[in-house]
Amino acid sequence: MEKEEVKNKVKKVVAQVLKIDQSEVEDDSNFIFDLGADSMQSIQLVAAFEEEFNIEMDEDEAVAVQTISEAVDFISGYLN
Amino acid sequence: MYRNLTSPEINILEKQGNEAEDWRNVQVKDGFNAYAVKNTQFDGEVKLGVFTKKLEVEGDIVKKSGIFNSFISNCIIGDNTRISKVNILSNYIIGNNTVIENAGSVFVDKESTFGNGAEIDVLNEGGGRELPIFDQLSSQIASILVLHRHDTELIKKLKEIISNYTRQKKSDQGYIGSNVKIIDTTFIKNVFVDDFTVITGALNLNEGTIRSAEESPAVIGGGVIAKEFIVLSGSVIDSGAIITSSFIGQGVQIGKQYSAVGSAFFANSEAFHGEACSLFAGPYTVTHHKSSLLIAGMFSFYNAGSGSNQSNHMYKLGPNHQGIVERGSKTGSLSYMLWPCKVGPFSVVMGKHPGNFDASEFPFSYLNVVDGKSVLTPAMNLFTVGTRRDSVKWPKRDRRKDPVKYDLIHFDFLNPFIIERVVNASNLLNNLLEKTPREREYISYKGIHILRLMLRTTRKYYEMFIKLYIAEEIKKRIGDITSYSSFDKILAKLNPDVECAEGPWIDVGGMYAPDQILQEMLDDIKTGNLTTVDMLHKRFNEIFSNYKNFSWNWCAQLIEQRLNISVNSLGPENLIEIINEGLVNKIKLNNMILKDAEKEFDPNSKTGFGYLNDNNIKDADFESVRGTYEKNSFVNEILAESELKKAEVSVFTEHLKLFS
Repeated sequence: MEKEEVKNKVKKVVAQVLKIDQSEVEDDSNFIFDLGADSMQSIQLVAAFEEEFNIEMDEDEAVAVQTISEAVDFISGYLN
Repeated sequence: MYRNLTSPEINILEKQGNEAEDWRNVQVKDGFNAYAVKNTQFDGEVKLGVFTKKLEVEGDIVKKSGIFNSFISNCIIGDNTRISKVNILSNYIIGNNTVIENAGSVFVDKESTFGNGAEIDVLNEGGGRELPIFDQLSSQIASILVLHRHDTELIKKLKEIISNYTRQKKSDQGYIGSNVKIIDTTFIKNVFVDDFTVITGALNLNEGTIRSAEESPAVIGGGVIAKEFIVLSGSVIDSGAIITSSFIGQGVQIGKQYSAVGSAFFANSEAFHGEACSLFAGPYTVTHHKSSLLIAGMFSFYNAGSGSNQSNHMYKLGPNHQGIVERGSKTGSLSYMLWPCKVGPFSVVMGKHPGNFDASEFPFSYLNVVDGKSVLTPAMNLFTVGTRRDSVKWPKRDRRKDPVKYDLIHFDFLNPFIIERVVNASNLLNNLLEKTPREREYISYKGIHILRLMLRTTRKYYEMFIKLYIAEEIKKRIGDITSYSSFDKILAKLNPDVECAEGPWIDVGGMYAPDQILQEMLDDIKTGNLTTVDMLHKRFNEIFSNYKNFSWNWCAQLIEQRLNISVNSLGPENLIEIINEGLVNKIKLNNMILKDAEKEFDPNSKTGFGYLNDNNIKDADFESVRGTYEKNSFVNEILAESELKKAEVSVFTEHLKLFS
C-alpha cells in the first residue's frame, strides 16, 4: 500500500474514533494535544488501526505513537 | 490483699475533704498513702491501690498519682493511678498507672457486653446480612458472615460461636486497663477500655469496646461521639467523628467529622469528611473527601474520589439494593453508581452511571459513561501508573503494630484470584469477538457496553499479563536457578506440594484462597469441628499460610491448560521459552506504564504552570515543582526493574541451557 493511501486511511480512522471532522486532521496532528484524544481513545486508535489495516501491532510501540505522521510510518512498517 | 482503713488513715482522709457513707466499705492495699486522696466522695464498695509514684499526664507534664476532687462508686482502683476531677466514676475496675482527669461521667449502669454481639446491617441496609461485631472480629469472619447467607446452617453455627464468645464479655462491672489515659472527656457509659488506650476530648462513648496493645494503642480524640461500637488496636478516631453501630478494625483512621452508621471498617482503612451507611469497608478502604457517601456496598483496597456516591434508593420494598466493588478499584470525582452494581478488581469507575451493571468479569477495566451508557474498556487499568503505585504502596502502609493481627491480607499483585479473572475475561472477550458482527459499534453485556473494536486489542493485553504471570511464578518457585545441579531437581521443585486446590479463587476479606479449601473450613464449622472463635482464627491462619502452595498448584494447572504440558514434563527449552516470553511481556507492560507516566510531563500537564503565559517560564516552573520525566523516581524504578528482569532472565536462560 502506498504511503499516501495509508495516510488517508489513518486520517479517516482517527476522525471516526475521535468523532471529529476529517478536515481537522493534519499530517502533523498530535492525537492528544491537537485532536484531544484521551487515554481510552488512544487505545481505541490502536484497535481501529489494527482492524483497518488487518495488522497486529506491537503493544508498547503502538501506544508510543503520538502523531498522524508517526502512525503512517509505523503502520507502513507492518504493511511492507 | 486489701485491708480496712486504719483510724489514723480515716482521720487524714477526712481532714483532706474526703467523705464516705461508711469507711468500712473502702479497702486499701498495704502501703496506701492517705495523703494522696483529696476532696473525694466514696460510695459503695471501693478498693484502692498504692499511690507512690508520679506519672505522665499529657506530653511532658508529670503529676502525682492519687484521687482528687472526684466521686467514686463501686470501683477498684489500681496502683499509681491518678483520678482527678471526675464527676462520676462508677462500677469500674481500673488498672495501674492510668490517668482519668477532667472527665464527666464514667460509669457502667447495667449488665453489658460492651458492644460485643451487637448486630449491624452492613452491605444491605434493608438487613438480612446482619454482622455481629466483637473484639476479635476479622475481615475473614465478617466476609463469611455477610456473603454466605445462602448457607443458613453455616450462618447459624457461626452466630452461635460468636454468641458464646460475646456472652463471656457480659458484666455489670466495666474495665479501664493499665496505662490508660482518659482526659477531658465528657461521657463514657458501658465502655471497656483496654490497657494503653488514649481517650482525649471525646464527647460521648456509649456501649463499646476499645482494644489496644502497648505497641499499638487505640486513640479516641476530640469531639468523638460513638455508640454501640468496637474499636481495635492502632486505630485513631478523632476530630468530631460520629460512629454509630459500627466496627473499627486494626490500624483504621477515622476523623474530620466523618459519620458512620451500621458499618465495618477493616485493617488500615481511612475515612475522613464523608459518610458511611451500611458499608463493608474491607482492608485499605480509603475515602478522604467531603460529599463522598459510601452506602450499602462492599469495598476493599479502594480509593474514593471526591464526591463519590452510590444510591440504593431506587427501591420498592425498602433500601435493599447493594453493590460490590472488588479489590483495588477506584471511583473518580463525582462518580455515581446506582446499586445494584458489581465492579471487578482493579477497575476505575468514572462518571454518573444511570443503570445497573455487573462488570466483575473484567478486571482492570475503565468504566465510564458515554451518551448515557456505561461503557467498559477492559484491561485498560493494567498499564497505568496508578495500578502500579497502588500495588506497591499497600504493604508499606500497614499501620498495624499489634503482634496479634486479625485481618489476614495477601498483597501479591500477581495471584490466582486476579489471573483466574484475567483468563476468564480473555476467553469471554474472545467469545464476544467471534459472535459480534463487524458492523456493530457496541456489544451489551450485563448492563455494560464494550466497543466491539476493543475486544481483540484488550484481549491481547490480558494475554500479555497471563504470560508474564506464568513466567514470574515459575521463577519465584525455582528461586536461585544457579543452585540447581540437575534439571531433575528443577522439575522436582516445580512439582506442586499440595493436592489440587480447585478454584474458583476468592478474595476472602483480603485473603486469597481457593473456594474448595474455604468450603472445607465452612463444612468443619457446620459439622461442629470448629466451635470457637480461636479455632476460626487458627484455621484461617492455616489457609493463609498455605497460600504459596495453593497458588503454585493453581499456576501449574494453568500451565498445563495453556501449554498442554504438565510441569513435570517441561524441558529446559520449554522453561527458557516461557521465561523469555514473560520477559518480553513484562518489558512491554513496563513500557506502557512509562508511557502513562510520560503524560504527567506532557504539555497538557503544564497547564496552569508559570505565572506568565510564557513557555520558558512555564517549563521552568513545571520543572522546579514537578521535576523531569528523566529524574522522576517512579520512572527510574520502572526502568531499573526492567533491567533487573532482563538480567534475571539472562541468568535463568544461561543456566537452563546447561541442561539442554
